[in-house]
Amino acid sequence: METLALTSAIPLLLALLSISPCKLTLIKSVVPSALWIHFCLIAWLCWPVITETIPEIRISQGLALSHLGALFLLLTIFVAASALTHAKFFFDKEESRTAAPAPRHVAIFYACSNLFLLAMCWVFFCDNLGYLWIAIEATTLTSAPLVYFGRTRHALEATWKYLIICSVGIAFALLGTVFIFASSQHGAIAGGSLVISELIHNGSQLQYSLMRLGFIFCLLGYGTKAGLFPLHSWLPDAHAEAPAPASALLSGSLLNCALFGIWRVNEIMVSTRHNLISHDLIVWLGTITVLAASIFLVRQHGFKRLWAYSSIENVGIMLVAIGLGSGALFFLQALNHSIAKVSLFLLSGNIVQSTGSKSLGEIRGVIKFAPVWGLLLALSAFAVTGAPPFGAFLSEWLILTSAADAANWAVVITLILGLTLSFVAVSNHLVKVLFGNPKPSYAYFQPILTSLLPACLVACSLVLGFTTGYEVFKAVQ
Amino acid sequence: MSIILQWVSFWLSLLVLPLLLLGVIRKLKARLQNRIGAPITQPFLNFFKLMNKTETISETSSWLFRTTSVINLASVLLVAFLAPWLSYQPAIPGDDLFLVIYLLALVRFFTILSSLDTASPFGTFSSAREATLSLLVEPAMVLSLIALALSQHSTSLSKIFAFLPEISLASLPLWLLAGAGLFISSLCELSRMPIDDPTTHLELTMVHEAMIIENSGKNLALTELSYALRMAVLFGLCAQCFLHALCCIWHPNVLQQSLLSVVFLFLVGFATALVEATAVKLPWRTAPNFIAYGLTMSLLAAFVAIAQGSLK
Amino acid sequence: MSITLAGMIAITAAVTAILMVGSRQLSMNLVLYSVQTLLVAGLTIVIGIQHQESNLFLIALAVASIKAIGIPRAFLWIVKAIQVRSDPGTILPAPLAMHFGIVLMGASSLLTSGLPVPQGTAKISLEATAALSLLLTGILLMLTRRVALSQILGFLTIENGIYLFALTQTSGMPLIVEMGILLDVLVAVMIAGLLLFRIKSSFEHIDVTQLTGLKD
Repeated sequence: METLALTSAIPLLLALLSISPCKLTLIKSVVPSALWIHFCLIAWLCWPVITETIPEIRISQGLALSHLGALFLLLTIFVAASALTHAKFFFDKEESRTAAPAPRHVAIFYACSNLFLLAMCWVFFCDNLGYLWIAIEATTLTSAPLVYFGRTRHALEATWKYLIICSVGIAFALLGTVFIFASSQHGAIAGGSLVISELIHNGSQLQYSLMRLGFIFCLLGYGTKAGLFPLHSWLPDAHAEAPAPASALLSGSLLNCALFGIWRVNEIMVSTRHNLISHDLIVWLGTITVLAASIFLVRQHGFKRLWAYSSIENVGIMLVAIGLGSGALFFLQALNHSIAKVSLFLLSGNIVQSTGSKSLGEIRGVIKFAPVWGLLLALSAFAVTGAPPFGAFLSEWLILTSAADAANWAVVITLILGLTLSFVAVSNHLVKVLFGNPKPSYAYFQPILTSLLPACLVACSLVLGFTTGYEVFKAVQ
Repeated sequence: MSIILQWVSFWLSLLVLPLLLLGVIRKLKARLQNRIGAPITQPFLNFFKLMNKTETISETSSWLFRTTSVINLASVLLVAFLAPWLSYQPAIPGDDLFLVIYLLALVRFFTILSSLDTASPFGTFSSAREATLSLLVEPAMVLSLIALALSQHSTSLSKIFAFLPEISLASLPLWLLAGAGLFISSLCELSRMPIDDPTTHLELTMVHEAMIIENSGKNLALTELSYALRMAVLFGLCAQCFLHALCCIWHPNVLQQSLLSVVFLFLVGFATALVEATAVKLPWRTAPNFIAYGLTMSLLAAFVAIAQGSLK
Repeated sequence: MSITLAGMIAITAAVTAILMVGSRQLSMNLVLYSVQTLLVAGLTIVIGIQHQESNLFLIALAVASIKAIGIPRAFLWIVKAIQVRSDPGTILPAPLAMHFGIVLMGASSLLTSGLPVPQGTAKISLEATAALSLLLTGILLMLTRRVALSQILGFLTIENGIYLFALTQTSGMPLIVEMGILLDVLVAVMIAGLLLFRIKSSFEHIDVTQLTGLKD
């Protein structure tokens, strides 16, 4: 119980602090430090679950924290702490511009990002499909103000699309939840149940056709939130229009929440032992998403949209991992992607702020006017696309080998095609951005502070690439 | 004995009710608009006045123009005998719903022909409009009757509108929807208010009135009579639908049914007067939108009828 | 014959949704939505009496006060404030869209006949048909309308459909889950309402088909 209380209390207090009439400079430094303390506390509390000395922290009938949930919880808090630490430099720079944001808007941003963090943390505690839906919808609602931060027409349009598409999409997940509830009533559970562990326990007795319908609707619904290929249209808009720390939060943690929802529903589906369809469906949806996203990456004109599509591609890869039924691979890919993508979005925020443009055609010569950013940008981009020394290479390699073990050759070939294409496309865009002649108006600011966090994240990604290989490989075997 | 009584009362109704209904609608409309209005008997007086007037006939018109009013009156009279628009009406064999629908279409056909025959410019464009409207209204009207036919498994109108003792609450929505669909399409069929204003004096916006603009004297008197009769029959069918809806809740005896069918006929007339007093005439372009509501009701009625059929 | 009172209320709610598709006046749409939600709340009470579950009365009260009265009232005020009265609609004209809605209702009755139903009820459940029809009509409304407010109404209709499905096809979701869903929907609609004002003031229209500033 104290785990949930603590997880909720600190972000809630920070959100209250942010809207209280205290100084903005105070908020900017208190929030990140409190979040890092929060991270350490939660890590300490969850340690028994993470080391698997106890199977789960059960709070009540519908609330529990499993091994995978605890890992994702820590990752989410880590991403939020990193993004909000960097947010200080981002907003300092924003306030020095002529069109500075109103202090109230910045305060709302901090308040909403803490509420957003709270909603995302709840997702991992939910052991009830109803609670899960409520928490995931709450993430949409709390993050919509983050996207609207810029108060421009484009930001407004992106927020509207984000809110409406995600709400309608997730309404289908609610329908799916109702179907699953109905299927449990037809089965062995008297009166029905939404508790996931109970459903998994009685998996073979669920009414299969309703369960299958429910699964498909949940996949569509949460898939909209995760940015599955035909339903992804909100994602690049929202990621590109949100301020850099919010983009990092959306990409690095929100997508994981939606995918975690799919993972939970898939667990129920697997337990019915009719799992052939669900596996193929998820794996193929993931593969198609990877391929489609890499094709979109080729013809891209927006700097931040590039990383948004790369997120969609990574969502596809994570879906393949979910479809292969491997929680470890799913988490490993999510971890590597989140760390590298947060670094990428934060650096992109720096570059967009100093060049004043979001268009790929206008940003030139980053390596000349800001060598550290350029270097880190190149390294993070390689980390995200899965180049060899980084962690993502390892996880993608493992996903490919397990797909090959399942003799899914079409999937393997399509995945390799998509990954190669995206690597080539990102490198091509990156070369244009890094080299060439910068305009004289470009201004490099606070080189050490603004590079500190991305550098740490890149280092983390490298360390992950070198160390976790053996253990994860054993875990998968 | 009862058969003789039926025939007597039916003949009386046939002679009195149509023109009376027209007069009542006009009077109610006037009262709703804060006017005193002509007396209720005005349509009768008009009829006798027109019968005594001499007729002016265009030199270019043919026998079609002169015979149309008679053909129309004959067809409508036949419809009035076939369609059970009053509950005390004696049943006549051959009362098929398609026969009734196509007799009504025949009336429209001859009216259009005669208005084209006079070669008056108003007659030409109004007949074009009338043809367009009938194209839009016909499906709604046919469908609402077919929905009822589906639920009773018969196309004979007297069987459809027979008062079954075991009529249950479950068929309430069907009757209500079919009645509403029939009412909206009757308003269009009879060129009443939201589609066409029967009291307008601007020929450019008229539909029905512009078609009979060349008629005068006895010809006009018969045309008016057949119009009133057509209105009584169509509104009578609507009234029957609503009466059946009432019968789903409460089962009246035969005498009450007979009285109620007349009362309901005048209630439908009152509804028409209410619509006419409050609504504005729709622009020609948006007229199909209004008819679409009638079609919606009929489609829903058909849906309910099919659903009930499969539930049985 | 098994047309129950519950089934009739459910179908009437679905019919009001279809009429919403047919009407282009925003205030008329709001009234129809309000009626539809009141019917859904009434159905909740009917089922609550039948199954003798007091939870359902609470839910009905919440649904009626928030969704049937609160939200339409707030939106009526917004309609007056932003001075947009009617919705010009997209490709499909309103009357045709309405007929299409009825076709969808027929399709949903075919679809629901394939669903397994609780023991001891009729083969075709009118309630399930109505629920699915509400859902599909909501999607139709979102597709055939261009004013942002109608989009929100479409979403709310979809939500009503799902709620109706949960109410009639299962033994009722847990109270806390229903309340959480209601809260989420309320907050979503509030945020959308605020955004409506912003869209009106910065674009001078609330036509979502003209929001095409963001492209690849």
